[in-house]
Amino acid sequence: MTVQVLLGPQTPHPNLASALEAVAFDGPIVSITAGWRDSEGETAEIEADIGQPIEDLGLYHRAEQFFAVESAFLELHRARQERLQELQKLYRIRLETAISAARELLRTQGDPELLRLEQRAAISQLRALDRHHLRRIAALHQDFDQQRKTMDIPAATAEREAVWERVNKAGLVLIAGGHVAVLLNRIRLFRLGELLADKPIVAWSAGAMVLGERIVLFHDNAPQGQRNAEVLDAGLGIVKNLVPLPDAKTRLDWSSRSRMALFARRFAPSRCCTLDFGSMIRIEGGKVTAARGSEVMQRNGGKKGLVAK
Amino acid sequence: MNPLLEMLLAEAPPTVAEIDAFVAENEFPLVEPGRVTFVYRGEADEVLLRRWISGHSTAQPLERIEGTNLWALTMDLPDGSRFEYKFEVLRSGTRLLVLDELNGVLAHDPFGANSVCQGHGYGRPDWTLPEPDSRSGTLDRLLIPSRAFGERREIQVYLPARFRETRNYPLLIVHDGRDYLRFAELKTVLDNLVHRLEIPAMIVALTQSPDRMAEYTCSEKHARFLGEDLLPAMRETFPLLQDPANCGLLGSSLGAVAALHAAAQNPNTFGRLFLQSGTFPFTDLGHHKKGPALDPVVKFVNAYRAKPFRLAERIFMSCGVYESLIYENRSLLPVLQGQGMQVNFEEARDAHNWENWRDRLRSGLTWLFPGPLWMVYE
Repeated sequence: MTVQVLLGPQTPHPNLASALEAVAFDGPIVSITAGWRDSEGETAEIEADIGQPIEDLGLYHRAEQFFAVESAFLELHRARQERLQELQKLYRIRLETAISAARELLRTQGDPELLRLEQRAAISQLRALDRHHLRRIAALHQDFDQQRKTMDIPAATAEREAVWERVNKAGLVLIAGGHVAVLLNRIRLFRLGELLADKPIVAWSAGAMVLGERIVLFHDNAPQGQRNAEVLDAGLGIVKNLVPLPDAKTRLDWSSRSRMALFARRFAPSRCCTLDFGSMIRIEGGKVTAARGSEVMQRNGGKKGLVAK
Repeated sequence: MNPLLEMLLAEAPPTVAEIDAFVAENEFPLVEPGRVTFVYRGEADEVLLRRWISGHSTAQPLERIEGTNLWALTMDLPDGSRFEYKFEVLRSGTRLLVLDELNGVLAHDPFGANSVCQGHGYGRPDWTLPEPDSRSGTLDRLLIPSRAFGERREIQVYLPARFRETRNYPLLIVHDGRDYLRFAELKTVLDNLVHRLEIPAMIVALTQSPDRMAEYTCSEKHARFLGEDLLPAMRETFPLLQDPANCGLLGSSLGAVAALHAAAQNPNTFGRLFLQSGTFPFTDLGHHKKGPALDPVVKFVNAYRAKPFRLAERIFMSCGVYESLIYENRSLLPVLQGQGMQVNFEEARDAHNWENWRDRLRSGLTWLFPGPLWMVYE
């Protein structure tokens, strides 16, 4: 059974080296650092930390290179990205209303029997909206994939094959954090989902997010005020029933129990798990086999330490 | 009276040793929720509190506390307020403006320093202080040949940490740039906000006019300098994003007028305007009382109010409620909003000074140039 290890932010206090001890692997280490965009591949600090060489797959830059010569593919990709962004804006409009209603109902005092059903219904509507959004996104991806199949894109194909070869030979894949949408985009572009499912993986922050079934964006302490948590896209689905929340101590407003309660209930039965500095979740065969420094958001807005089963 | 002062004076007049202890044990001015007490210690014939704020008397007398050389004044002050002041001391016929010796908190500006009164609930924002993890950007000098001014102008250029030639950056042009660096901690703020991903890594051009009263008062030459000299030179020298949404102007006081005017004179060029405590005088009737130097500004603002048009995509305005310019800024706000621009306005319980402008930098910059924070999970 393959092992995935999820970690929190690695700067300024990395725990990658100790996480590697929790994974048995045989073969070279490759990394995906596409979330770092221009800084992709700058892995010297990580190599020094773990004391082993890493080959970066260079997904971000490889894509830039083949897009430069395959303009029709670039155009198709750009059109899909624009539609995804537009769709996200439309989703936000509906989300605003649905989440306000649910939040208000969770704060409201009254006859518990009457209130409970209304609260449940509001949360169900919120979940239905999230599901609907994921279906719409999936349709856009499907459309993109079908059109891509009809294209003659030798440069992209050559790059993809080069990446596949490296992943096949790898004993361990590291997936770094960074820009989560860019990271997911590049992993999808190189169609690495299935390949990664069979590899031992250590992933942190955004890297952990893309391994889940859906990617949830959140920040309660942004300079322009709190934003509603939103579903960005489906993840790779390698890690099931768990919503990773990197840097949750800083990014979430734990003082607002009703806000946290709604977050937890909206994404249940998946468990919303924090990944802060020093956190580590080891998953084997779909089960959490070891956990350190990670907490699970509770239905009542509190949190409890994640325990291995 | 402040309870601490009341305790000191509860019985007989305090001794010198008791006053020494009182001064050593407390921070001045004495701040409580909703009010503040200023204390001056020394021989004098009269002591006045001098504040550079609007809406209150600019000089208020402190009362001598009998049997001591202490002077005190208690006044209401809304929580979160901040303002700058000095004491005016009359002694043997001589009037002197002095800093509050009991208060170590000072603010600096091009004219010197003032004591700072920080009301209950005010705290200096942490992002204005150097953060150990923030990578430092660099400041370089660049000579710009200016056809508008017929001379070369030196500017400073802030490049963000990990600057790369291969990447394109937004550009922000800052009027009174040297003052923003010295008195509003602009470099520290940029380093911190970039590090926190609250704004994108950006290039900042810092100008410093040799004659701001002439050049920042709606000068055609200055507007041409920005649009036809500075901007092309920056684009030639640095990798910049070319669209107006990635090109902004920042200025305070007359620097804000210069930004507004330059945006009007260079259409579709500056898509982001950050206007702090702008001097936007206007007349609906009669003549203004701001002096002849501001005639061109009044003319420009009057013309704009009469026939407003779209100047930028987004404008962030800020102004202190303790400055007279609040009236002009509040008046301009609906005019700008009426042109379909996104306009955000922040009022602060502060006055016309650099620390007010410093404290508003985060809300303005993050609104005009939102960073990738929402999407980045490091």
